[in-house]
Amino acid sequence: MKSYKEIEKKHSPEEIAESLVFPGPKDPVKREKMLSALREVRKQQKENQSEESKLISQLLQLKFLMEDYLKADSFNKNFYFGYFLNEYIARLEKKKKQFAQEIDVDPTELSQIINKHRKPTEKIIYRLEIHSNRNFPAIMWFKILEKERAYELLHDKSIVNNERSHVKQQLKFSLT
Amino acid sequence: MEIAQFEVKLKEVLTNSHLVAVIEPMTLADFKVVKKSREQFDKFNWNQYRQKEVYKLRLKEEDVILGLMCLVDHTDEATDAIEIELLEVSSENIGKGKRLDCIGGCLIAFAYRESFKRGHEGCVFLVPKSSLLDHYPAKYGFQYIPVKTDRRPNGFMILFESGARKLIKTYLDAA
Repeated sequence: MKSYKEIEKKHSPEEIAESLVFPGPKDPVKREKMLSALREVRKQQKENQSEESKLISQLLQLKFLMEDYLKADSFNKNFYFGYFLNEYIARLEKKKKQFAQEIDVDPTELSQIINKHRKPTEKIIYRLEIHSNRNFPAIMWFKILEKERAYELLHDKSIVNNERSHVKQQLKFSLT
Repeated sequence: MEIAQFEVKLKEVLTNSHLVAVIEPMTLADFKVVKKSREQFDKFNWNQYRQKEVYKLRLKEEDVILGLMCLVDHTDEATDAIEIELLEVSSENIGKGKRLDCIGGCLIAFAYRESFKRGHEGCVFLVPKSSLLDHYPAKYGFQYIPVKTDRRPNGFMILFESGARKLIKTYLDAA
């Protein structure tokens, strides 16, 4: 392993800072002193943090969780459309009735979507994009809904079977 | 929610074009590869970090590792932050002759994204070498907080919510 002096001979400080982070103090006393100072700075920062800054952090957390869930191959039955919608409303610290008014939706309809008794309509998804100032784009909500539907189709055969009586004719061969 | 793979874009210096890369958790097999790649990763002994949270960055279409980063998640309420304990860009991508740019920036911005995602409000810190005190702020916007010790000043670099958002926008939102 190269020493810092060896690295300095080959690269400028700008190049080193751009590309390397060195480990902090190994001595437990020094490390605790550093962490203690950090906790003090963190405490002061939290005390002075604006409400807007806190809200932005909470909404970014939700957005990144949604993005990562969409990228993941696995399903999670707890992460359905209504769950993320409820989280969005909760982080804004709004009552559901107030939020329903803000996007001009019947409060009962909103409640049914959150509680998984009803699927959201396209208009609600478009209004969510507008309400969030495009920070939570409609495409992201559609993809959450799509993933939820895929999970339901895989786990509930009755969804397709219930439509069987409506199909009068079907192909008689398999492609595979 | 652990991420399996996160896409970023690197700049190819020669052509000024962008290449898709991914950041993903290191596997035990990766540590063996890094141990053998002494010319690419010659600054630190990454094998000592096998039990820790370590990420690698590689081009999406290639297996070659281009950058490594070790994170420490300080979940206690008082600290409530992510520490970048160690970061190394592969030797051929440091300095004037580098082939790819933004490897370090993408890894650091990824740490900020994880900080938001884990509820630390974008708070990330690292411990700088004293000769780099001016350079982490210039490159990544960190703020230096000195800590007085008996012998010489020590301290840490830290960045909060608004600075973190800028880094994410610069290095990750273009992906």
